[in-house]
Order: sequence, then structure tokens, then C-alpha cells
Amino acid sequence: MIVFREISPAEDFYYPIGSLISIFRNDKDDALLVPMRIVGWISRRSEMGVLWSFFFCCCFPVVALSISGDCSSLEDCILKSYFSKHEVLSDSSFQDLLQDELSKFSCKLLPGDPNPQLTLSGLGRRLIGEGSHRHLSSTIQLQIPPQSFPLQSCKLVMIERLPSGVFADPFELDHLLHHGAYAAIGVFGDTNLELPSVSSNRSAVEIHMNFKHNTSSGAMSALGIRIDLPLHARYAALHESGYSEVAFGTPDLLVSCSMEGSSEKRSCLIVPSSDSNKLRTDVVVWKIPCGIMSHTNVVSVVTFATAFVSTLVIVLPSVLYSKPR
Amino acid sequence: MTARAIMNLRSILIASAVFRLVLILYGEWQDAHMEVRYTDVDYLVFSDAASLMASGSSPYKRTTYRYSPLLAFLLIPNSFLHRAWGKFIFSASDLLVGYFIYKILKQRKVAEDLCLYSVMVWLLNPFTFTIGTRGNCEPIVCAMILWILICLMNGKIIQAAVWYGLVVHFRIYPIIYALPIIVVLDPRYVQLGKKPLLVNWKSNTQKPSSQSSEEASTRYNLWTAAKSMFSRERILFGLVSGGIFFLCTGLFFHLYKWEFLNEALLYHLTRADPRHNFSIYFYHIYLHYGHQLSLVEKLISFLPQSMVQLVLISSFAQDLPFCFFLQTVAFVAFNKVITAQYFVWFFCLLPLILPWSDMKLRWEGLSCVGLWMGAQLHWLLWGYLLEFRGQNVFLQLWMASLVFLLANAAVMAVFIRRQGCSPIFLQMKVRDAKGGVKSE
Repeated sequence: MIVFREISPAEDFYYPIGSLISIFRNDKDDALLVPMRIVGWISRRSEMGVLWSFFFCCCFPVVALSISGDCSSLEDCILKSYFSKHEVLSDSSFQDLLQDELSKFSCKLLPGDPNPQLTLSGLGRRLIGEGSHRHLSSTIQLQIPPQSFPLQSCKLVMIERLPSGVFADPFELDHLLHHGAYAAIGVFGDTNLELPSVSSNRSAVEIHMNFKHNTSSGAMSALGIRIDLPLHARYAALHESGYSEVAFGTPDLLVSCSMEGSSEKRSCLIVPSSDSNKLRTDVVVWKIPCGIMSHTNVVSVVTFATAFVSTLVIVLPSVLYSKPR
Repeated sequence: MTARAIMNLRSILIASAVFRLVLILYGEWQDAHMEVRYTDVDYLVFSDAASLMASGSSPYKRTTYRYSPLLAFLLIPNSFLHRAWGKFIFSASDLLVGYFIYKILKQRKVAEDLCLYSVMVWLLNPFTFTIGTRGNCEPIVCAMILWILICLMNGKIIQAAVWYGLVVHFRIYPIIYALPIIVVLDPRYVQLGKKPLLVNWKSNTQKPSSQSSEEASTRYNLWTAAKSMFSRERILFGLVSGGIFFLCTGLFFHLYKWEFLNEALLYHLTRADPRHNFSIYFYHIYLHYGHQLSLVEKLISFLPQSMVQLVLISSFAQDLPFCFFLQTVAFVAFNKVITAQYFVWFFCLLPLILPWSDMKLRWEGLSCVGLWMGAQLHWLLWGYLLEFRGQNVFLQLWMASLVFLLANAAVMAVFIRRQGCSPIFLQMKVRDAKGGVKSE
């Protein structure tokens, strides 16, 4: 099941046509509200849950990107387009798809502009909590050249490919979305909440966070973002040690910017560059308690013996004391 | 105003209603302002399914919705009135159960103060008010079961059969009550069109009674037994309740196809959840998950449950409320999956049997309560360590569930010892072959 919606900001008016019209009209015309709400209602009916970019950027030097493919909006392309072609999440085929998307939707700049160096300077990863319900906290540090970057129209896209053995609850993420924690969040893949990991496939989470307006001036500004993802452990396969270890990989980080240009709205993607020598990513491991195979015989025998004893405890008095008084 | 004057049924009901309203409002506040929700996850499932149904699609498109479409239908106003509509319905059923308990006990001429104490055992039970206000649908099932009892006590067999068919469609577990109801619809006790004679409650001062001769079963030969097995009342009850059940199933199958059958019916019959719960079988299921269980193993797990049910029915069917109570406790205790909401199924029947019990609150009653709650808390402690501290305590948790089953069995044994069988119906004048009436 795919849940992929965006929280609407205060105006509650972010239907695509409405946004387009609001650019040309500076007021919200009530007469247009009704048909636009109907359009919005119709577009929301589709399971896709289209994401809308916030504003058209009027005053930034960015140019139209190459448009291809059948996605009407970029943001729901990456994981959605992956799972539309693949049944199961596999790292290698995902990397291939990501390269594909980047080459198709990479941000191109006007000639003459210096190449923007959006740099990932730090990625901290921590697993907070004990037990079966924990938070995966990712602290991302970016260095951004403010002049070439229209921060207000860009957002951070983080794709977390979850290992098998943990899952994210789509309804819980929905709840967080309504509380304004993220701009958009969606879970793809196997989101069954009940099956143990031997019967489940992997899932992946795509998170979109807006950049907060950053007031620092100068050549480069640093931006720190913290993303907290609530996760739950599945029942793990049996292991003699009593614990099953689940290791998290590194997330895929991208910046997605919406473009002014052609009549259709598009967003482009940028991958922050990083110095892999300087960047040290913490390896996160989750130890999940699991059953122990050697218990099997004892457990079965004692379980049925107890059931038998309890049966006797109930049956004997019933037979002895059931005469009507 | 004396305590007695204040304490009448109306004031208890009003106080309970106000308290539940406050809890519902608090629940809405907690949902909006705190991380941990007050509302049960199941309620959100019902609401989503109801809004799907309101927009014309199948409620089963909502994952983990495993109930009858009737429930989603009841909650449709959640979408356009207020999202707490369902909670109001469930809490109202809760209060209705309290009223039914009073009605049943009063009809059997139980003393007023005992009636009120029994009603309070239900209305002031923490399990009860949290279940309704958190959004669990069990109070509706309890209300239906009690209404069926009231109909049977008043001789309204057809109405009882209709509600019985509905309640089995809604929640499958009441099927265990089918046999005792059929047994109690003996033509010596219950006849179509006539109000049956009830055995009234006698206080301790009046214990020696002269009614024993009327209550004793008459000797009758095999022929009489065979004839009465297929009495009009029993056949009618069976046909009507079966008809209603299949009508509902057929209607919803026509509307929602296999999704309905799989999620609402078959899931409950074949459910084997390896995740930890109060049941003694959870670790066994987890350790064998993925492997096919042999026929012998499947039978072995089925045997204790069926044996206990059959023995209870044959011993206590004449005392219908007590039989229901014991059967429900046993059914829940021996089930493959036990969650806390199942306890409400027998809590609604407990007040109906208390006036007949010889158990004194001090110290036998309190030690039963203590034993049962203690075993539960013990399990919850290990469950907390497993789920929220991540420690491998599967073995200890499993042993705690064994202790819980034994505690349930022990409490049942004490109840049986202190109550015995107090039949609900008196023998009536019997119909003879010509349709006239002759007394035995």
C-alpha cells in the first residue's frame, strides 16, 4: 500500500491550477475556489497522491529541464517508479534506477553561472530507543552556495532503503505528516505490519523536508537537518544466540528544486557531492530478540502438558459440582 | 439523602455516562497533543473502513480491517458528523449492557442492592470504560448477547434467534453458545408463545426451598429424549439464526466477494499469530513458523478447547448465564491468540452470576481477583521487557502465559465449586399429544 501525501501549508490552496492562477492573480478569487477544489478533489482521488511544488520561482536563474517519462511530478517518481517496475526492493536495481533518474532530471543551469557545489559535509546516524520500536535519527549537514540556490523552492529528499527485519508504519507516518513534521513522506514495498520477517519483503521510505529559510550571508551557508524516522522490528527468524542483527545502509540523499520555465511544473535533482574520506557515516545496527531453535521440543511438550492439566482442573470440578442445587 | 437513596440505577447510569463522556473528550485531547494516542489503533481502522464505505468502495481495502461490513456501516457518521461518533456508540452500548444486567437480575427477583452492586461491577470496571472510550467495538457484542438472554427469558424465541444469527455474523465466538441455548430450549422449560417460568433468586436466609421437586429432571426414556431433541422451539431457533447468518454472509459476499470472506470469516478461523500475546501457544507457533504442522499437532491443540467446552455445556447448560460465563472464560484462555479486549466478553456475564455465588468477597473473591490480575501483570512485565527493552525473554514470557492459563483454570474451578448449577428455568406445564395441557 502506498501512502504519499503532502501537508498543505497554511493557505490550503495548493492545487496545481490554483497555484498557476495565483501567480498571475495576486488575490484569491472566491469564484475560482469551487472549481479548483473540485479539480483538487479529483486529482486526490487518484492513488498517486501527487506532490505539488510550492512556488514558481520567478527570480532565479534556472532553466527548464529535459522532460520525459510519464510522471506528472518528479517527487513521486523515484520510489514510485521503482516499485512500478520491480516487485521487490533490490539495492543494485535501485542504484541503476537512481542513476537513470539523475541523468534524466538533473538540474541544468544557465551558462555563465558557476557550477554550484552543494556539498554534504556530515551525516550522523543513530538509533534511538530500546526494544521493538525505535527512531532512526539522521543528522545531515549541507554546505550550500546561497546565490545559486533557490532554497525556498528546494527540498531535501532522503530515500531510506530499510533492511529486511524492520518496517515503517504508513499510518504512523501519516500521523506525523499531519503534525507537520515533514513536507512529504511515503512508504513503498512490503508494508504489511503483522508478518514476521521470513514472510516479508523489504520496504523503503522516501522523505521530503523543506529547507528552512537561512539568513546567513557569505559565500557558503551551512544547513543542518535532522530527520527522525520511527521504525518497528519484525519478528526475526530463529537464531541460537537469541538476537538477530539488522544493519542499516546509508540513505540516498538528493536535493530537489522546482523550476520556472515551461507550462508544466517540473523539479530537477541534484546529488550533493561529498568527500568520502572526510565523511564518516556511523554504522547502525539493531539487535532484535528472536526465538531460539533449541527451545522447540521443551516448549511444545510443556505447552500441551499445561493445556492438559488446565483441562483437568476445569473438567473435574464441573463433573463433581454440577448437580442442580 | 442517604447513601441508598443516591445509589439507584438512574444515578449510577448518569454518573457512568458522564465519566465516559469525559474520557472520550480526554481521548480526543490526548490524540491531538501527545505522541502516544489514547484511541486504539483498531478504531482508526474502523473509521478508515467506514469512510471507504461511505465513498462507495469496499471497506476491506483498508488493511487489517477484519470485521463485518455492518461495523463500518455503523461508523459512517464518523466521516461527516464527528470522528468520535463511533466512541459514543460504543460507550452507549456499554451503558446499555449495564441496564440489561439490571433488567435480567430484577426479572429474577434479586435484591435491589445486590442488583446495583452487580451493575457497578460492570460499569465501574476499568477494562469496561477504557474499552468503549478507546474505540473497541466489543460493548456492542456484549449488549447483543445480553439482549438474547433477555429474549430467551421472556420466551421470545424468534427474536432471540434473529439477534443470535446477527451476533455470530458480527463476531464468530458466540457460536460456542449455540449448544447450551439449544439444550435449554427444552419443551419442558420453554415453549413457543408462552413466557417461561424463571427460577428466582433466593437470599441466604431463604435457602431451603420446596422448589427442588419441580426443578428436578423427570425420568424419561430414550423416545421422549429423541422427541424433545427436535422440538419445535429448537428447530425454529436453529433455522432462524442459521438463516440470518447465511443471509448476512450471502449479502456481503455478493457485495464484497472473496475479500469479505477471507478477512471477516476465514482469517479468524485460521489465525495463528506468532507475535507475543497471552496465549500459551504463541511461542510454539513462533518456533514452528514456516513449517507445516502435522495433523496430530493440529488436533492436539484443538482437543483441550473442545473437551472443556463439551464438559461445561453438559454440566451447566441449564444455568444459562453461568454456562455462558464459564464457556467464554475457557474459550478465551485456550484460544491460540488472546488479546486484552477479549476479556470484556466474559466481564459482561460476570455480574449475572454473582448473586448466585456462595463466594464471599473477603477473602475468596479478592484472592480470585488478585490471582487473575497478578498473573496478567506478571505476563505484562515480561512483555514490557521484550517489547520495550529489547531483551530476549521469550522463555520467561511463555512461562508467564502458562501461569496465566493455570490462573484462569483455578479461578474457574473456584467459581464452579462455589456456585454449582442454578438452573434458570422452571419446569412448565407440558404439552400433550392433543395440544392440551397437562402437568407432570
